[in-house]
Amino acid sequence: MSIFLFLFLHNAIAYSSHSSSADTTMHTNNWAVLVCTSRFWFNYRHMANTLSLYRTVKRLGIPDERIILMLADDMACNARNKYPAQVFNNENHRLNLYGDNVEVDYRGYEVTVENFLRVLTGRHETAVPRSKRLLSDEGSHILLYMTGHGGDEFLKFQDSEELQSHDLADAVKQMKEKRRFKELLIMVDTCQAATLFNQLHSPGVLAIGSSMKGENSYSHHLDSDVGVSVVDRFTFYTLAFFERLNMYDNASLSSLFTSYDPNTLMSTAYYRTDLYRRHLDEVPVTNFFGSVMETIHTDSAYRAVPRKMSKRAGINMAVEKSVQHDDRRTLIDSNVQDPTSHMKTKDQNCPFTRTMNTFFDKVERIEHPDSLPKHRWFEWSSPMAIVVGSKSRVQTPAPTFITVHGDPGFSSMVGTVRVPCLVSVGRLGLAGIDVRESIGF
Amino acid sequence: MAEEITESSNDPPPETPPTPPSEPEFDSKTMRRTKPGLKRLFLTFTVLVSFLLGFPFLFKSVEIYRSPLPFHDIDSLSNDVVSNPFLFPCHFQAILVPSDPKSSSIDLNLDELELSIRSKITKLASKGIASQCGACTNNFTLSLTLDDGGCTQSSSKFYRCGAIRAVDLDFGDDESVDEALESAGLDSGGKVYSVVVVVNGDGVEGVKVVVGKYRHAWIVGRDWGVEEVAERLAEIFVRVFVNGGREEGLIHGEFMPVGADGRIVLSFNLLNADPNDWTYDWDFQKIDETLLAPMIDALGPIANISVESQVLYHTPKFSVSSWDEKLGGYIFSTKDLPFFVNSNEWHLDTSIAAGGRSKILQFVVYVPSAKECPLLLQLPNGEISKTNAFISPMWGGVMVWNPQSCSRDSDSELLVRHIMSPEDLQKVFEVFVGQFRQLFGLKSGSLHVGAMGSYSLLASEKGFTEWELDVLSRQHTCFNIHSSATTLGSLSKLVQSLPRMIIMDEIGKQVKFSLEAAKLARVNASLGFYDASAVSSRQARSLAEDAFFHPSIMSVSYYSFEHCFAVYSPFFLPVSMQFLLAALREWRRYKQEKAKYLLWKAKDKVAS
Repeated sequence: MSIFLFLFLHNAIAYSSHSSSADTTMHTNNWAVLVCTSRFWFNYRHMANTLSLYRTVKRLGIPDERIILMLADDMACNARNKYPAQVFNNENHRLNLYGDNVEVDYRGYEVTVENFLRVLTGRHETAVPRSKRLLSDEGSHILLYMTGHGGDEFLKFQDSEELQSHDLADAVKQMKEKRRFKELLIMVDTCQAATLFNQLHSPGVLAIGSSMKGENSYSHHLDSDVGVSVVDRFTFYTLAFFERLNMYDNASLSSLFTSYDPNTLMSTAYYRTDLYRRHLDEVPVTNFFGSVMETIHTDSAYRAVPRKMSKRAGINMAVEKSVQHDDRRTLIDSNVQDPTSHMKTKDQNCPFTRTMNTFFDKVERIEHPDSLPKHRWFEWSSPMAIVVGSKSRVQTPAPTFITVHGDPGFSSMVGTVRVPCLVSVGRLGLAGIDVRESIGF
Repeated sequence: MAEEITESSNDPPPETPPTPPSEPEFDSKTMRRTKPGLKRLFLTFTVLVSFLLGFPFLFKSVEIYRSPLPFHDIDSLSNDVVSNPFLFPCHFQAILVPSDPKSSSIDLNLDELELSIRSKITKLASKGIASQCGACTNNFTLSLTLDDGGCTQSSSKFYRCGAIRAVDLDFGDDESVDEALESAGLDSGGKVYSVVVVVNGDGVEGVKVVVGKYRHAWIVGRDWGVEEVAERLAEIFVRVFVNGGREEGLIHGEFMPVGADGRIVLSFNLLNADPNDWTYDWDFQKIDETLLAPMIDALGPIANISVESQVLYHTPKFSVSSWDEKLGGYIFSTKDLPFFVNSNEWHLDTSIAAGGRSKILQFVVYVPSAKECPLLLQLPNGEISKTNAFISPMWGGVMVWNPQSCSRDSDSELLVRHIMSPEDLQKVFEVFVGQFRQLFGLKSGSLHVGAMGSYSLLASEKGFTEWELDVLSRQHTCFNIHSSATTLGSLSKLVQSLPRMIIMDEIGKQVKFSLEAAKLARVNASLGFYDASAVSSRQARSLAEDAFFHPSIMSVSYYSFEHCFAVYSPFFLPVSMQFLLAALREWRRYKQEKAKYLLWKAKDKVAS
């Protein structure tokens, strides 16, 4: 009996979802645009906020290629960071937000109002790679999270420009016009965040801000080891809410919105729902903060009955044609190597490792470190040490940190290089040690 | 008083010298005897006027260049698309041949049959199955031929009687019948969908319906009435040739797996979950040449397709699977599928060839590791999937391929790299083609079950049969034109709502070309050139998108009038204030002096 009931219910659900998909488009994918707009060491918490949200949405299933992460400064490699290459959002330092697989799409001075609006509206120069574009469509749910310093109807970018509420509303309007989203959740953690939503008029937009007009948004706590505040209150309580959830959870948006307590927040979280059609208690938070892939089983292969004659003819034809098809891109040749010999052979294909290898070769060949040429990436000065370490497993492309220490008086310079080749990370590490030994430290 | 002094010192005719005090009531503070001079007033106003005259030049010089956009044409395109939907012409013909012209003749009333088919086609079309964008049932022609020694034909004539002789056809071998019908030239060059009805066919039990690779189908059977023949013909015409044999709700019609620039990049990925157990490689080049190249050529009008491939290692899946003793494998079920793709470890999107608006379709062969081998997909009904594969709309497809023996390679240090055998690869790519078709909304089974029983569908080596390509062409044309109309409409709204936005000539050109391409596509569509219309509609969409997403629109879209005022007012405000105030003061002074003069005049008159 219960099986019948279940079947019936299942059918009913299937039917209703089908009929609703007929009049409106389905929700097919999720995107997240996470923006930290402020620079400088004392704004550490803004980067920590953004990275925490990044980690959360990734954990809940939004893949990296659908997250646009904009970080205005690189706190992990800041000279004042006592924990190089690490960022924490809590003084217990239990969770390193800058662990493996953080893909920053726009960093440093690339985080401008113009670039932000370009990301939203999709008007890029042709050379901009796909990973830096918001390639959403009419079935997309987009989470737009912004944090930084703001005021009445504006949000400061990099201490030099500002994004006005008009600009934001205009961009959202253009997105709606081109059907770049189905639903958009704007979440802003800044002072007077609610004022940023004043000009929004596009349907399907839901907005939540950390504070009302005239209110400040405060940081949550100071980490005395790091020396600055590490997280903002609004984001802290948002994260606290999400830490309890996993991908399969069904908590609704209204439960998130009501979880903000003005006493602990020390400001009033404001949410604007008049442009949003659905009831908040029916919308799971994973509709914006997570992503579930819609899948359909493939019933059957497509099997053309190969007739002997026609097949041979087909092959002949294809061989003749292969000359014409030479201009099509095939990456096969670079991939046929054995994975065990991958490390060596792959090196030739990666410009980064190639450069690094030639550099290391040079370092090994020369006798006096003083005669080192000025490399185009780093300003070398002697004495120096090169420390190369990798925090990640070998197979994943992860940020590798190359620390170059100059003169003792000179503050150490830390550069982050994202290594595009998968396996070469391990070799790089070894090479680094070789170099250190060969120089004689 | 001070004014009086300056006035007296500057005015050219100093008429203030004391005149004979004949009028005792003359008060020099409130009256004057002479007319006030106009020279000062004239000078200040000249300066002011010349300043004002400069304004048009200034405006001209700071004018924002806006290439004139054909707003009217854009509106008319949008209106056309809505009010005047596409009318693709379709030509249907049915050819009735007796299996043996000597022994039997067909006793049918062609007019009655034609009427019956027409009404049935209209009925089927109105049921919504074929009413979607790109259907052609609103504008079809139907011709019937009875070729039984004699030649009875109704309406337009594509078929030359005697071209088909049923006795020559071996209905046991569908492929050969298909080739024979194609070489018979049923459509005489045009795009005509033909169904050959072989009446009283021998050697066939019941009714056999086969749809070929080209644009024809055949029905072999015996002992049926007009109604039944009409029913079957209408069903083949509408459900198969017009609608592509697809069912509604499989994939939403709006999701076309073609990028906005009309390109698709097929990215083939071979994932070795754990290369410590075994590693596989494939001879992709060969597959690309033999299997993919013909398909890509066939789809040429619909999309510009390019192919990439890569082999990745260390790519575990996301979901977990459980061992099932009975089935002898590790089982993952359909409800795990949404969590199968591990986007954090599968670095699929490595393409640098794909432009920003191209569509990348990922096709993944997943080779499981030893501790989850064989990995089997269980369907909701408990069966094991035959293909071990699934798709995600707009994303691509995944197929799990289990190595022949799931035993680990010997524990020797050196790992052997296996090459997938050509037979395995062939099977894998058959599934890929099935998935690719599925992404386009087409079914891949060789049997289609309709209301009147099932038909066999012959599969083409190209991956898509001619009639399927026609369906796709029609549908994509329709979709592309709709899309370019809405994009251009949005652009024109945007441009009109932002009067201070620069519009480069390039945008104007793109809009113009897009409109022209759209027009061409519509003309071609109405003439029945499906391929040509698909190509130009793709151009129209691509150009419209280029115009809308032109990077130059961005930089000034938040450059408001207030901004302009704020930029220029520091230059002009100080100067213009001086001129305005001076002119005002002079005007007031002149009026004052004139009043004095008039007062004196009046007094003078009274006195005299």
